[in-house]
Order: sequence, then C-alpha cells, then structure tokens
Amino acid sequence: MLEDVLRAQKSLFETGAQSVLRGQENRVRRVVIRNGALVENARSNERGVSAKVYKNGVNGFASSAEYSPEAAKKVIVAATENAGYLSKYAGSKKPAYPAVGRGEFLAERFIIDFEQKRIVDVCKQLDAYIAEKYKDLLSRSVVYREDTMEKWIYTSDAEDAHVTYPRITVYTTLTKESNQGQPVELAEAFGGLGNIDDHFKDWNAVYEKIDTLYNKLCQKAEGVYARAGMNTVILDPAVAGMIAHEAVGHTVESDLVDAGSVAGPNLNKQVASELISIVDYANTTPFGAPILPVYVDDEGVKAEDAVLIENGILKGYMHDRESAQRYGVNPCGNARGWTFSDEPLVRMRNTLVLPGKDKLEDMIASVEDGYYLEHTGNGQADLTGEFMFGINMGYEIKNGKLGKAILDTTVSGVAFDLMKTVDMVADQVKCVSWGTCGKKQPMAVSMGGPAIKCKINMGGR
Amino acid sequence: MDIREASDLLTKILEEKKKEQKDLKAQYTVTETETREITMDNFEFSLFRTLFDTSASVSVIADQKPGKTVTNQLNEENLKQAVEDAIAASASGVAEPYYDIAPGLTPEEFSFGPLEPDVDKLLERGAELAKEIKENYPRIMMRTMILKYVRSHGIYRSTNGSEDEVTSGYYAFTVTFAGHEGDKTTGMSGSYVAMKDLDTPFIELGNVRTALEYAQKSLDPMTIEGKFEGPVIFTPDCFAQVLYYGLGVLIDDSVIQDRTSLWKDKMGEKVAADLLTVGLRPWDERIVGHEVHTEDGFRSEDYDAIKDGVLKSFAVNLYTANKCKTECAKNSGFDLIIEPGNTALEDMIAGVKKGLIVGSVSCGLPSANTELAGVAKNAFYVEDGKIVNAVMETMISFKISDLLQNITEISKETVCDGGMVVPYVKAEHVLISGK
Repeated sequence: MLEDVLRAQKSLFETGAQSVLRGQENRVRRVVIRNGALVENARSNERGVSAKVYKNGVNGFASSAEYSPEAAKKVIVAATENAGYLSKYAGSKKPAYPAVGRGEFLAERFIIDFEQKRIVDVCKQLDAYIAEKYKDLLSRSVVYREDTMEKWIYTSDAEDAHVTYPRITVYTTLTKESNQGQPVELAEAFGGLGNIDDHFKDWNAVYEKIDTLYNKLCQKAEGVYARAGMNTVILDPAVAGMIAHEAVGHTVESDLVDAGSVAGPNLNKQVASELISIVDYANTTPFGAPILPVYVDDEGVKAEDAVLIENGILKGYMHDRESAQRYGVNPCGNARGWTFSDEPLVRMRNTLVLPGKDKLEDMIASVEDGYYLEHTGNGQADLTGEFMFGINMGYEIKNGKLGKAILDTTVSGVAFDLMKTVDMVADQVKCVSWGTCGKKQPMAVSMGGPAIKCKINMGGR
Repeated sequence: MDIREASDLLTKILEEKKKEQKDLKAQYTVTETETREITMDNFEFSLFRTLFDTSASVSVIADQKPGKTVTNQLNEENLKQAVEDAIAASASGVAEPYYDIAPGLTPEEFSFGPLEPDVDKLLERGAELAKEIKENYPRIMMRTMILKYVRSHGIYRSTNGSEDEVTSGYYAFTVTFAGHEGDKTTGMSGSYVAMKDLDTPFIELGNVRTALEYAQKSLDPMTIEGKFEGPVIFTPDCFAQVLYYGLGVLIDDSVIQDRTSLWKDKMGEKVAADLLTVGLRPWDERIVGHEVHTEDGFRSEDYDAIKDGVLKSFAVNLYTANKCKTECAKNSGFDLIIEPGNTALEDMIAGVKKGLIVGSVSCGLPSANTELAGVAKNAFYVEDGKIVNAVMETMISFKISDLLQNITEISKETVCDGGMVVPYVKAEHVLISGK
C-alpha cells in the first residue's frame, strides 16, 4: 500500500488558492509470450507527488518523482509560483470554482503485488494449453498487462480520498492460414477490475474462452468478405459500447464541446432514437455490470453518474470543476490523471448504453439480409461524431439466421445519425472493463451496453 | 541521490550479483528529466506545469532468460530492489540462447539542443501563433496549444563496459484545432513540431499552415456516391502514418519472429516502387532527438529499410536477429526520412483525373496481410486536376504492401516536424468508397 505521507502538508496550501495535493503510484506488470518464447518480462513502479493550484483564473501544476513530505512541499510551492507566473499572461480573470461537497473517502480494496513468477506461470500455462491443443496455428501470443493505480488526494476545498484501481488484462492472439492462403488473426481480451487471483480462479472458464476464440478463428478462416455499403446490422454489446464511448462519449466531454464538437449545438435536442439512453456511471450500475468504480476524482469531487442521453435526447456533458462552473452545472467527478505527473482531464469512466426490451434472438430473426458485428479491436471518432471501427469478428445474417463468418472489415458513420436508426435494443447488458482510452494521457475505462439493431456503413468488397 | 550516484550504485550491486552468477548480463539507464509545459485552451493560457522526473531501468539476462524492471525512486532500497526484481523476473522466464546485449562501446558523452529554457520566448511564440490563427484563420476554433521544453540527463551502462552520458534539451508544441462556423464543425486537425530553438515563428514550421488551410476549407464537405478505384495523394503526415502501420506488420520483430510477414523472404528484393527510399536516420540533422544507442546497446546508425524500392533491412532487435538468423537493425527508432521526388505538389494534383488528397486515415492497425480500410480524414476530392471540395464519410481501402508498389509520384516538397522528413506521395489503385 502507498503510505500516506501527505496529510500534514495540507497546511502549506496558500490561503485563497484552490489546491489539490496528489500522491500516486502506478504499477505495470507486463509479460509477453510469443510462440512459447518469453519476449517481454517487465515490471515498473512509478510513484510521486503532484500539486495543482487554481489561482487568479489559471492553474499551476508541479510534480516530483520523489514521494515524501519534502517533495510535497516543493511541488505545492512550485505549482503556486507557476500559477502566479502564468497569471500575467492570462486574459480574462476567471472567478474561483464554486463550492463542492467536502468529506473523506477511504478505499475498501487494496492492491496486491504478485511475484513476477506467478504472472509468468499463468501466462505459460495459458500458452501451453493453446500450443498443446491447437497445432495448426501459424502463431500465438499471450500478453499479460496489469496496470494498477493508487492515490492519496488532499484538497483545500473538496473531498480528501484514498482510492485504488487494481486491473489486469490478458490478450490472446491466434493466427491461422485462411482458405485463401492468407494469415487470419483473431484476438480476445479478458480481465478487468481485480487481480490475477480474481481472474484465474477457474481455469476451465479461461480454457473455455480460448476454445471459443479458436473456434471463431476457424470460422473466420473460412470467412467471406462483407458487402460494402449501408447494411442492417446488429451490434454486439462490445461494439455498441465502443460507439457509446468513442463516437458519443468524446463529443460530450466539455473540453471537446468547447472545441466545437457536434454536441455543442444539440443540447436538449433529439440526437438518437427514443430507445437510446447513455449514462457515464460513477461506481455502480442498476444492472450489476462489472465496471471500474470511481468514487472521488482527482479534483476531490465525489463521483456521481452523468446522464448523457436520455430517451434519445442529449441531456448533458461531462465536466471538471472549471467547465462545470462555466456551464452552470455540478461536476460529476470526471477529472482524472493517469500518473502522478499528469494533470486531471475530463475523462469518461463507465459509459454504457442502457438496456431495452428486446430479446437478442428476436433481433436476429428480424434481419433478412445483414450482419452481426461481434468484435471490434479498435475505434476512433472525431468532433463531428464521425467514427470508424475495425470489425474483426462478425457473421452474415441471412433470413433471420446467423450465417458465415466475415473477414476483417471496417464500419463508419456519424454517431448521431447511426443512433437515430436504432429500432431494437436488447434486454441484456454486457460490459468490458479492460479498455484504455487515449486523450493526451491514457486512462482506464469501461464501456458496454446491450446489442442494438441499426444501419451502418461497412467497408468490404 | 543524483543519477551518477544511482548509476554507480547499480554498477556496484550488479558487480556483486555477477560474482554469484557469472553469466549475468545487464544494461541499465538512469535518467532525470525536467519538463516545463504550458497549455492554452480556447486562445487563453490556462495551465503551467513543471515536472521533475527520474527513472532507473534495469534489464538483465541470466541463465539465458530476460527480466526487466523500471522504478522512478532513486534511493538505495529501491535500486537494490529493482535489481532483485529484474533477476527474479528472469528466473521465471524461458531460456533461449538468442538473448544477448551488444559488446561494450567506447564510453562517450553527448550533448544536444538547448540546455536552458527560455520560457518567456516560448510563451511569446505560442501567443504569436494564437494571434496569427485568430486574425488570419477566422473559421478555425483552436482547441488546445501545448508548449513544452524538456531537458534530460541520462547515463547508460552495460556489464560489457559501455557508458553513454547524454544531456539534451528541446522545445515542442502541439496545436489542435477544427474548422468551425456557426453549427458547422470539421474533424479535429493539428500539428506537432519539435525544435532545437525558438528562432522561427511556429506558423512557418511543420504542416501548421497547410493544416489550418485544409481545416478552413473543410466546413462544407461533400459525400462521394458509390465507389471507384483511383489515385490518392497522401500528405506527409498521412503517408508516415500508413508506412508506420505497414512496416509494423512487414519488418518488425513480432512478424519476423512468427514468420507472418509478407516480406519475410524478400530481403534484397523489390518490394516497392523504385521511387521509394525509406530511411530511419537518428543522426539526420533535421531530427531533434538523437538515439545514441539501440535498445540492445549498439551505437545507433542511420539505415535505409527500403532503398530505391528494394528491401534492405528488417527493423528487428538482437534477439530476433539471433533467432531468425538475420541482421539486427542499426537503430531502434522511427526517425523517418523519405527521399523527396521530382514532382511539384501542384503538378501532382494537376495529374489526378479522379481521386483524393488524404490528410489522415482513421483506421485500426492492419493485420499481417497488410489490408487497411479506414475513413479518409482531412481529405479532398480531386477531379480533372482540381481540388473540388472536402469529403466526409469516405473510406479508402488498400493493401499496404500493394500500395508501396503502386507509388507513381513523390513530391519535391517535404514536411519536417523534428521527428520526420516526408514528402507527399501519390499512389494508384486505391479503392475509394462513399455512401
């Protein structure tokens, strides 16, 4: 556990300045086994302290890789000086942030540091299972990544907190020759909140995931190209969640709204089908999805759910204290930094599409000629809500039944346009919590939702 | 503890360990970095950061097994623990005779760039760019400008006797913006430039001016109906992006190790158009951060991965080279220098009957077959040699390995951003599909 050496340093905050002192440790454990060879075997521990001081309408920030009371004093002084220095270049003088709730939150869970041998042994066992059982693969890789985070947060005028974020992700990638003689690849990730013991308690469940992955790879090796153009599709929860995060979520982050995102002129307008509601959850969901709970953010704001879209109407944005003040709303605890030396940015937490009332089998049965898009490995979107996602596993739907697997394809469109075409929403929610969002800094996020039926533009031949 | 004391302590700890374990090999680097970073949001300075960072990384090979640790706490307890953890990690590994480090290098000291920042001048240059954008690009909404000065001091050693001491400093700025007018907005665009000095107004550097002009012209985009095969002119940034993705699945460690690369047996053979020479050159004077040794401890040298269309080198490390019986790459970075061609950009556009200029591709990483399909961003439709309009919801699809063969023209003009020098590149037979 990261020891608390900062509490007493609150007395150094300058009167009148709104200050946050943050001590943080990030631990990364990474093992890569490629075709049986251990090609990466690394551990890193990074800890330090930072201070953020808001004064005269600008922010000063300073950090030090030394984690001590002396370093805390140094960064508070430096951050305060930086705010003073910058204020002479600042234009308009902005007011102080409005008051937020005060109190103290202490984490109930702790980070367990496992020996590297335990991690390597898990990866070796997983690799050995694949090597023994599936001999026709061109290549295989197992990548283990653990990125845990622990923070002590002390503030001048908000909540103080001790928060922990243990998380592991295991990526397995298999490559096989297709019926066209080309390499075909399929990857699957699992893991999320928790540690290696939480996710490798039941090896049969792990093996089942590998077996499923291999079977899908075999289907894909016999796969066909998707038909290019607009198609009726059912998006698996993983894909729907990616669209909620990338194509909708980013456009409603206040800093991107300020930059001119498509969400700016659409507040309180119908931007999606009435069947669509999207919430950025703080720490629990009504349907028990496995998310990454955030209780207090890095400005000391108590985390609450942020309703983004309700019954198709754009209801709000995500904020830090500064933008919440400008927009005249309460911040919901979205300001987070990746390492001790990163300033908090407006970030999503657990962005989910809410479930509907349809059964997945009825949704598939309703499609005469379309696709079930099951797995996306990546996605991007921009201010306009125009998005692109790679689809690396999916199936044709012919006459209401799943058909042949499809080869890698890409889907694209404009998020609000796509969301208006949704006419069925499944009643079951799935969530993945191994996502890492990139926006100047990385950030652990989760995303998900139910399967949704819509129209989408697909690449292909 | 300063970085020399930390390095000396690591040397002592590892010498002791070597007495117990004769075959132990190690490389270790201790670095301290100081960063000044100023952020401007919506044309107003909003944040000034000062970051004091340290780092010690220890990589060991023991009993032919690798292990690595990184810590940022430079004290005796943590450094001892870092060595213990690296050795413990290696003990859990898989032995292979291919792990190794370079023979010892002659100890050298390097010093690059400005070692003291002029923060006032940096702010002035930033404010000057903001003023230029505000006054001359009225349909641009600037999201963020980040101004940065970074100074680092590092010592690298290996148990084979190498010691490099590097002191360096550089300035950099990132500006992100979109075309914006009323309710209309374009996709995000931007520029990153690293610099050795602040002598030149930022508007003159990298692709800043072009990117601003493209963003302003993109507010009323058209959609393309149907699909066709045609030429695409890739901007320097876009071609660097495509090439980076392509080389990742054609010449990088993982695909050479598992033999899934389409070029695995193509060394010395023609893999691209004669026009194309792809250099990876950390010592080019236009590159701002110079890699002085490779990840395995060899002295870094410039090399060409592709010369006149012929594959000359894989971008692999010593482990891969030993395992796959090939040559190790002469540096570990991606300091991309593409030789310019003979065609003016204007003439290149004039020669397009029906095609696109593409500023970036929104896409995922290609798999081993190098197929790439993505949305063309910051892109313009060209017909009969003239730019007609910006496009939206337009996808481009191609195999990168084919695209490199289908290059027909390379521009005289290049863009240099401190990390790359790349011209415009025109390639035929790209599948372009609209709605």
